[in-house]
Amino acid sequence: MAEQPPFQRVLVANRGEIAVRVMRGLRELGIESVAVHSDADEKCAHVLAADHVVALGGNTAAESYLDIDKVLAAAKSAGAQAIHPGYGFLSENSAFVRAVHEAGLVFIGPNADAMDRLGGKKAAREEAVAAGVSVIPGTEQDAGDEKLIEVAKQIGMPVMLKASAGGGGRGMRRVEREEDLAEALAAGRREARDSFGDDRMIVERAVFPARHIEIQFIADSHGHVVSLHERECSVQRRHQKVLEEAPSAVISEELRQQMGAAAIALAKRVGYDNAGTCEFLLDANDEFYFLEVNTRLQVEHPVTELVTGVDLVHLQLQVAAGGKLEELLAGHDLTPRGHSIEARICAESPEQGYIPAAGLLELVREAHGPGIRVDSGVYTGWEVPPFYDSMLAKLIVWAPNRAMACERLSQALGDTAYLGIPTNVDFLRRIVDDEAFRTAAISTDMLSQRPELAAGDSATGNPGAPDDHVLAAAVLCQALARQSGGGGGATSSGSTQGSTAVWQNLNGFRLFEVTR
Amino acid sequence: MKLSREFVRDGETVAVQVESIDGNRFRVRVGDNSYEYDARALADGGVRIQKLGDDSKGSVAYGAGSQQSYMLRVDGKTHTLEAPASRRGGGGGVSDGTVRAPMTGTVLEIMCKPGDMVEADQTLVVVSAMKMEHKLSAGVAGTVQSVATENGATVDQGAELVIVVPAES
Repeated sequence: MAEQPPFQRVLVANRGEIAVRVMRGLRELGIESVAVHSDADEKCAHVLAADHVVALGGNTAAESYLDIDKVLAAAKSAGAQAIHPGYGFLSENSAFVRAVHEAGLVFIGPNADAMDRLGGKKAAREEAVAAGVSVIPGTEQDAGDEKLIEVAKQIGMPVMLKASAGGGGRGMRRVEREEDLAEALAAGRREARDSFGDDRMIVERAVFPARHIEIQFIADSHGHVVSLHERECSVQRRHQKVLEEAPSAVISEELRQQMGAAAIALAKRVGYDNAGTCEFLLDANDEFYFLEVNTRLQVEHPVTELVTGVDLVHLQLQVAAGGKLEELLAGHDLTPRGHSIEARICAESPEQGYIPAAGLLELVREAHGPGIRVDSGVYTGWEVPPFYDSMLAKLIVWAPNRAMACERLSQALGDTAYLGIPTNVDFLRRIVDDEAFRTAAISTDMLSQRPELAAGDSATGNPGAPDDHVLAAAVLCQALARQSGGGGGATSSGSTQGSTAVWQNLNGFRLFEVTR
Repeated sequence: MKLSREFVRDGETVAVQVESIDGNRFRVRVGDNSYEYDARALADGGVRIQKLGDDSKGSVAYGAGSQQSYMLRVDGKTHTLEAPASRRGGGGGVSDGTVRAPMTGTVLEIMCKPGDMVEADQTLVVVSAMKMEHKLSAGVAGTVQSVATENGATVDQGAELVIVVPAES
């Protein structure tokens, strides 16, 4: 960068892969990075990637990454001018944003007022209505059974009954027929009372089958907002995204423009001034409904970067420093090119109810090659602590079209190894190789409708007994690890030297047979 | 050089023996079957293997773990290979009636009390760990003998939470 960097030093108030990714962006702009960490994260990848390090102490998020006073004190002591919050933790906490400003620092994200207006689901829904963005038709409050049933009939069946205090699907049910409304409402109230101690219910149109489409936008402090188009994140489990892609396979250029315009209208209405994402549900008739706005950089931002060619972290820093989008994006064609898909690699067992895992990663091998990007927060020998999110890394591919992107992702997942603790790598590959995913016949309930994708071999009655080749490979690995004293051992933890010593073991080995 | 291991496959113990022939060539016996392999260690922790004598494709295998439980990744699939009599408690699959914390976390809700008759798949405790809720069951039907935790408690991985005495069948 020949230009003056927007800041000299920025603290990244996060951990793992996103902190590493933000720091990479900082370095590219000539900005020094400051990492903060909990006790458990003393040797986490983001600490190793940083120019300066401040220990926060504590282990749980509340004792460390969520402690506003500690984070601000760290920024002061390290001489940072700005704080990038990443995602999660303090990223959508407007009290933190205000505290950052009061400390005389810059928050890399939207202003606190815009964040407040889009923060709560109810507030955001009201802003969306006011901005002319369609929301899922329904009631916002409980005016008694009679009124709810009347509204349900107006909306038209099927409808969703939801607990107003709800979350996690409890108290929520889909009703197909008008005559079942009264009974379903009573059952929903009982469940809501048991779960939340609050039996108020609301009714909404059932958007089903639905696709999750979201618009990435970026706004500056001069009133300009630009849409960076959609991502589709329909493959979800328990409301958590599993695979994300851009562009969506089902969005026409006209619909892309409409959804982009809706997101821009909403952002302008609240005076938004950084990166944000407007989430929608899309039904089978191409009608889209506002869900919520995420007022931060998102986990799945790389797919947008790969198809539009922009660097969202650079833009976040530049607009936070007062940069103008019309200058920053001048001459930049933002039309999506090719296709990108991201797979979230997590330390969890989809085969056993998605139970998360912590512990030593004895061997990490991440995919590489043309069109492959890995945003990782782990390495061989890293012990995944039990205190935080189970995501280890994101594997993102780009290819000229969706079919090739699917194939590239499948092969890259096949080339990926995180050994020592259970991961969802095989699960991700099962989905990517599934006919429904390959044909983009996906919806938000795909994984709940197809439990065999999570269960894997254990669902087919054949628990995947290893064949002779697998057993032979296992003992060959152990034998050679003993011989060479290197990684992959049955007793020694697999240490990777990462040196050119590989060639010394490869006498007569032909390189072009490695990949197939 | 010779290395012998035993694994459980389809409930039966299979003996696997690797013996060096020369250089990179190895004789591998799996149960009653015998194969010849070319195998070379890579510095990244992997092993390039190729079965000889047929036209099967070569691949790079990565393994880690202990002799008891070895995790292997080969041909794009993960296999967890268990040695005989290596079943350990904690983490599911073991149905001795003791409900253990699958990992360090917080007890959100206890849904049983001593004396309750419970089903094998009935949720007895809900534990939150790594921002996820886990519904734990005993894996056997029986009577709750004791509850060794309370709502809101922080529990370590493997901690006993509930003990169920299996019903006589």
